[in-house]
Amino acid sequence: MEIISQLTLNSIIAGAIYTLMALGFNLIYGVVKFFNLAHGVVAVIGGYTVFLLTGALGLNLYLSAAAGVFFAGLAGYGFDKLVFLPLRRRKTSSMVLLVASLGVFTSAQAIIAIFFTSEFRTLGAVSAGENIYSFSGGVITQTQLIILISGMLIMLGLTTVLNRTIFGKAIKAINDDAEVARIVGIDTDRITGHVFFIGSAIAGFAGILVGFDTGIQPTMGMGLLLKGVIASIIGGVGNIYGGVLGSFLLGFVENFGIWKVPGEWKEAIAFFLLILFLLVRPEGIMKR
Amino acid sequence: MEYLTHLAILFFIYAILGVSLNLVVGYTGLLSSAHAAFYGIGAYATAIALTSLHINFFLSLAAGIIITGIIAFLIGIVLSRFRGDYYALVSLGFNVIVYSVLLNWQGLTRGPLGMPGIPRPEFVFDFSSNISFLILSFLFVIVIYIISRFLVASSFGRVLKAIREDEQAVQVFGYNTNYYKLAIFVISAGMAAAAGSLFASYITFIDPSSFTVMESVFILAVIILGGLSNLRGSILGAFILVLLPEALRFAGFPQAIAAQMRQMVYGLCLIFLMLFRPQGLLGEYKL
Repeated sequence: MEIISQLTLNSIIAGAIYTLMALGFNLIYGVVKFFNLAHGVVAVIGGYTVFLLTGALGLNLYLSAAAGVFFAGLAGYGFDKLVFLPLRRRKTSSMVLLVASLGVFTSAQAIIAIFFTSEFRTLGAVSAGENIYSFSGGVITQTQLIILISGMLIMLGLTTVLNRTIFGKAIKAINDDAEVARIVGIDTDRITGHVFFIGSAIAGFAGILVGFDTGIQPTMGMGLLLKGVIASIIGGVGNIYGGVLGSFLLGFVENFGIWKVPGEWKEAIAFFLLILFLLVRPEGIMKR
Repeated sequence: MEYLTHLAILFFIYAILGVSLNLVVGYTGLLSSAHAAFYGIGAYATAIALTSLHINFFLSLAAGIIITGIIAFLIGIVLSRFRGDYYALVSLGFNVIVYSVLLNWQGLTRGPLGMPGIPRPEFVFDFSSNISFLILSFLFVIVIYIISRFLVASSFGRVLKAIREDEQAVQVFGYNTNYYKLAIFVISAGMAAAAGSLFASYITFIDPSSFTVMESVFILAVIILGGLSNLRGSILGAFILVLLPEALRFAGFPQAIAAQMRQMVYGLCLIFLMLFRPQGLLGEYKL
């Protein structure tokens, strides 16, 4: 019984982190309609900004976290303006954009590894002597509780922005048809830039939380990215709520999957789930 | 001299990988990022046949190609149902799954420890010296190139190019495009397996880290730089991307940093190509 409640808690925490990745990925996919693989590396940028500011400069934890989120967003914004926007202006296919984002991912990850080495690091300031809570036999750390709560808050905040503000309506209009949105006077390039900033900032936040929960490594971006992508697709790509559902489904399948098979198979399990979904229900749990 | 021979052998191995991947990506228009998986399966199959079963290299090579072909066939059945960016994503997923299997099926592959002591080929001639191995791998490149040349010039190749341009139109003419996509995928995987066999027996040690998604990205960079839908382009791309990073070695960077700078160069290569010359150096087709 204890193991089940622990696995449930682990699944929920994993689901919350995947939610953060999927939210940003989905938001960006909605307006640009290509798989932005660079989304993985902005999470790494968030984590390493905090590592640099708290470690080398000795800055306050919360301030560093805010800076990490900001720089991750800025990086995403920069990638859009420098690489993706010029390509979109030329009306290139989504494959070209995908390959370009793969290039951004590979080179940015390598640059981070050059500066910080490829070693595994912890952002650890809080993990030593932190509070641990237990729920019916399973335990959850304070960091994990923060992950859970902030994940939910960000999701609520994002849906409010999308549903209640003019900015959100503009995003939805671009989602439906970018060409027509431009005709009715929406500055699509500017809005898309902002969407890149917001989506990447959320991913940066995910990277920071992972750093506090387990640790950071330049290569962690690929894993986070793929989980976000898989969660988005099985939830219904471009659908915010679907992405959240997909994230938790992925979290549960992965964590209960490794109950019976060794933990190293997690990645493979995630892809099996994706392929299964693409074959049986390619539009995802919730259609757009 | 030894060093130049080493580089030339690596160049030949990547030329084979590039030419074979170009058949799928360039000629058929399917952005496969699973090539390193087949390269790895071929390498492992050959290594296991050589070290545990002690059979001749050329028989092990054939075994590697056949096993890889069967696995590629099974993966291809699933993959053929997708197109565009979903194809890219699902193939990437298969690379991750194959990598996990190589890493975790420890009874067969020894997992992260890798497989040491893979012998060099021996058949009539002894290929244990690097120079003779160089000649052997050169012969491989020639054979693969001729087969590929023949394939793309044949009516089969014309159907592939037609699928790339407009799959639906080809279907209207009564071709079962899935068979064609599956066939070229399996052929290309078999060629990658041959490159894997060469690699395993040349380095004499393999571990899963040589067959990651990043390796697939590298092979993609090779063919995109050289030019899609042009076989000579892939050879040129392999030449440039194998030799270019060697300049970093002479610039005196430490090993770990040089490896990362290599990754950075590949990544930047992809970005600049997409921005300024998406058809690559000699390409006849743009993504």
